[in-house]
Amino acid sequence: MTELIQTIVFGLLIGGVYALLASGLTLIFGVMNVINIAHGAFLILAAFLTFSLWSGLGIDPLAAIVITTPAMLAFGWLVYVLTVRPIRRAPPSSSVLLTFGLALVLEAAMGLIWGNDSHSVRPPYFTQSFHVSQIVLPKAQVYACALAVVVLGGLWLFLARSWSGRAIRAAAVNPQGAELVGIDIVRVSAITFAIGVATVGAGGSLISVLYPFLPGAHYIWIARLLGIIVLGGMGSLRGALIGALLLGLAETFTQTYLSAQWATAVPYAIILVVLLVRPQGIMGTRLREDVAA
Amino acid sequence: MSSGSGRAAIPRDLGEIVSPRSVGRALVVIGAVIVITYPLISDDLFYQNMIILSLLFAIGAVGLNVIMGWGGYISLGQSSFIGLGAYTVGILATRVGGSPFIWLPAAGLIAALFALVLGAVATRLRGHSFVIATIAALFLLQIIAINWRSFTGGTTGITLPIPEWDIAYQNWPFYYSLLALLAVALLVSWRIRKSKFGTGLIAIREDEDKAATVGINTPVYKALGFAASAVFLGMAGGIYGYYLTFIDPTGMFDIILSVQIVLAVVLGGRGTLWGPVLGAFLIESINELANQQLGGGNSRLLIFGGLLALSILLLPKGIIPSIQERWERRRQRGEDARVGGRIAPAAALADRGGAAAAGDGRPRQPAPRAGRPLLEVRGLNKRFGGVKAVDECSFGVEEGSITGLIGPNGSGKTTVFNLIGGTMSADGEVWLDGRRIDRLSPWRRAYLGLGRTFQITRLFGEMTVLENVVAPVHRFSVRQLGAGAVSGPEAARAEELLEFVGMRDYRDERAAALSFGQQKLVELAQLLMLDPKLILLDEPAGGINPTLVGRIAEMIRELNRRGKTFLVVEHDMPFVLGLCEPVLVLASGTCICRGTPGEIQKDARVLDAYLGEDFTLEEPVAVRDG
Repeated sequence: MTELIQTIVFGLLIGGVYALLASGLTLIFGVMNVINIAHGAFLILAAFLTFSLWSGLGIDPLAAIVITTPAMLAFGWLVYVLTVRPIRRAPPSSSVLLTFGLALVLEAAMGLIWGNDSHSVRPPYFTQSFHVSQIVLPKAQVYACALAVVVLGGLWLFLARSWSGRAIRAAAVNPQGAELVGIDIVRVSAITFAIGVATVGAGGSLISVLYPFLPGAHYIWIARLLGIIVLGGMGSLRGALIGALLLGLAETFTQTYLSAQWATAVPYAIILVVLLVRPQGIMGTRLREDVAA
Repeated sequence: MSSGSGRAAIPRDLGEIVSPRSVGRALVVIGAVIVITYPLISDDLFYQNMIILSLLFAIGAVGLNVIMGWGGYISLGQSSFIGLGAYTVGILATRVGGSPFIWLPAAGLIAALFALVLGAVATRLRGHSFVIATIAALFLLQIIAINWRSFTGGTTGITLPIPEWDIAYQNWPFYYSLLALLAVALLVSWRIRKSKFGTGLIAIREDEDKAATVGINTPVYKALGFAASAVFLGMAGGIYGYYLTFIDPTGMFDIILSVQIVLAVVLGGRGTLWGPVLGAFLIESINELANQQLGGGNSRLLIFGGLLALSILLLPKGIIPSIQERWERRRQRGEDARVGGRIAPAAALADRGGAAAAGDGRPRQPAPRAGRPLLEVRGLNKRFGGVKAVDECSFGVEEGSITGLIGPNGSGKTTVFNLIGGTMSADGEVWLDGRRIDRLSPWRRAYLGLGRTFQITRLFGEMTVLENVVAPVHRFSVRQLGAGAVSGPEAARAEELLEFVGMRDYRDERAAALSFGQQKLVELAQLLMLDPKLILLDEPAGGINPTLVGRIAEMIRELNRRGKTFLVVEHDMPFVLGLCEPVLVLASGTCICRGTPGEIQKDARVLDAYLGEDFTLEEPVAVRDG
């Protein structure tokens, strides 16, 4: 019984962090119909930035999100302007290849700067845990999950309350309609892409204390994030939250009751099964593009 | 497109001697001679190795081009097939025995089967989700190969015995078997392009929903296209594994190999026969350059990632199409463009077989029996979120009639068409000629005699007018897939139909270059190729000039005399009231009224919902039946 509860707790803690990471990916897809394959690479880049801030300047990795988030926001905006914007009228599949190319470039650049070996960030509380009766709550995971929830809350407030946020939501529902009522889609796309990358800026700092990472790890991360948004329904923010918690649980359950080796297969299996059984995911309708009038 | 600039055109005779086609042919011959004779004249193993890897990429790229260049579906999982082929050969050769070469057919078979299964999974997927599925499948296979140790050897991999042939032959068996495989792959690729299967794939690339409405069984085409992209790569993977004598999960199910294959297609030119081969040799040259000069690893990754991003940004069409395009533009300077010329007067359909026999010897339709319902719609419903676009809609269309369907904007007319044609699914029943069709796919409905046009024309833009008209398929059969894209009788029939709509002069133009009105005419000819019993026209008179409106009305009458039944959605009231009887009126997704044009104009409900109380038909109807 304890083991079951412990597994659920671990699953939910990591699921909260996943939710933050996937929110940016699903937001970008919803607004721009672009699947940003480089999302995982942006995440690892933020983790490496956190590593440098921690090892070089002694900044606490979780506190580093106040630096990594705006840094990745700016970087995301730059990447959008230089690469994604020029192909916004090209067929959607072009953006997949483009962002895949970007992911490889980022992987190579990180390898050249930080090396291809595994890195990890270990603040003092890394080995400490809270205990609630027999349930273990590692401090790093609790803090990371809490921060993810805070950042997600901020994102939600921005989308719900600010003018730009509402423009983003309008564009996600109906880009042509949004354009007709005076929303500058290119500007909204730039903001969306930058914010999407900023979420993994914060997320990169969080995962740096949870997992060891190396440049090549972006594949497993983009797989997890794609698994989440395919499961939740692509373009749906609420779907991404549900998908993230489900994937977190699926991974920890596989790890506990099957084996750690097969846990890596979970995201891929989820992607294939969901696409087979329910291509639109739990919340989404966007994935079936064949119902356009 | 003619630019009309003052620059002198290059001399015509020179242009004919040095056409890109002849230059291309010469380059292909030279390249082929070099590759065929290289091992015989040089024993340099470095270059032999380079060519062997180029051939592997080329086989992969030529295959991928079938589904990506023609079908429009990108797969980043092609190294799945290299891995499956290599593991098939490795496991069979080490456990059953024999030379790995004898197991190559099994490697091809396994790869093709996997592609068929994945293709079947992916039949419901469009664009993005297909790419994701191929990547996921690749990584899943890799994880299985790592974890299923008893079967695959896990990360230790499988070591194959060193080849036993005389050392004097070096790598010839690998080299020439890959070369032969590439030749076969090219031949098959060329054959597919010239077949109905190939035009079907291109139709899917251009407009998948439209393709389904003209009888193309899209899931089967896609799955077969994917299998065709896999089979030779699977065999090549088997040879590759034996060549390395070592098969392991990360080396075989390698996403970078996939990227390089995609890059070869993008760089060389998707949708061309030789582009993928050119791209493959370029990619392998860059590969070696990066490995030898820059130490491989991150630099190599940087180069390929950068190259992929840059080619999408700067050279999206690839090398060969870009050269062809530039050449075409130079050649066409000063030539009169055909587009914009007058449409030829409509010709009556030649009476041999007339509108009935569609070149495939199908029997002439029986004379219509008036009063028999050809189409029946019962209690149709369609919701979009909270909006009820179609609400308990019921009506019938009598055989031999030209039935009009009018109603205010947003009353659900086009949605009703989409539901009848099968582009959308709905609750309720649709019966065509005594058969219930509402659960059938769009292509099945097309086989049963349903044809439709679209409000905004949806021709296959990159195909010529003639290719568009011969694209429809009357029924699905495997043999018909292999049939030539444009058979003699079909071409004759298509020309006859183009003559009928007055567009024969435009047969070799690219469809996207036509005006809207011209596209409507071609779309009509295209749909007549299906020889439908019932023709659904969505705003045939919308957005075109009055003369053409009159001509279209004449054509509809002419076809109707020959036994075609019509259901016409239209806002042009003189057109509808002069042409159609009966007229159905749709409001808020329900059929509120049915009657003759005269009755409709006086019906209080219709005036209230649509025409307006002050409606009078001012001008006499332009087209009266003579």
